[in-house]
Amino acid sequence: MIAIQHEDVDIGALVRNAKENGTGAVVVFDGIVRDDDIRQIELEAYEEVAVPELRKIAREASEKFRLLHVDIVHRIGRLDIGENILVIVVSAGHRKEAYEGSRFIIEAIKAGVPIWKKELTKQGGRWVPGEHPHGSGQPGYHIS
Amino acid sequence: MTATIRFFARFRELLGTDIQAPVEAGATLTGLVRRIAKQNSEGYEAIFDESGNFREFVIIMKNGKRIERGAAGITLVSDNDEIAVFPPVAGG
Repeated sequence: MIAIQHEDVDIGALVRNAKENGTGAVVVFDGIVRDDDIRQIELEAYEEVAVPELRKIAREASEKFRLLHVDIVHRIGRLDIGENILVIVVSAGHRKEAYEGSRFIIEAIKAGVPIWKKELTKQGGRWVPGEHPHGSGQPGYHIS
Repeated sequence: MTATIRFFARFRELLGTDIQAPVEAGATLTGLVRRIAKQNSEGYEAIFDESGNFREFVIIMKNGKRIERGAAGITLVSDNDEIAVFPPVAGG
């Protein structure tokens, strides 16, 4: 499942579904709205570009780390503290590939997928600066 | 001819989005975005430097494909093109 959506996601169901034949490890990354003295967070995406980018990242991770299954669900809209922002579920034959594949996916998303976050505070709001100033929709986001 | 300009994140707040802009023959991507952005001085200054060039961090896409800043001034805009302009991404 590769999706950008407002709704939350059932992580347990994703984990059950990730257990393909040959699975020895499932790794779940769950990015959560942190309480940085904010009220909420607001997420926005260029969905027509972001979804194909997520698919491409999933495909690359699958090939590079021999993953058996990949789910990426990135939420948009207003989220409260403690809510899930991004859920990545990967399965592989062994833990090394599963951990590394999961890490590759999150770093690639942060580097190149057109999604933005705004922290909503009592004073107003502030856009979260990207970690990769030139990142978006182009090759070159691979982590080493 | 008409093109759609889509601003995202802070640029959207300042300039709006899904803007239908008339396009003259020979219009460049930089010229078109500059014309639209001039409707709000803060929005213009967020995207363009004093020389009228895209700021170094600004990301530009035409029909979903990245256009390098240096090429935006010579990239022509055609009927029904979708131009996206946005700041560095911050998902995850």
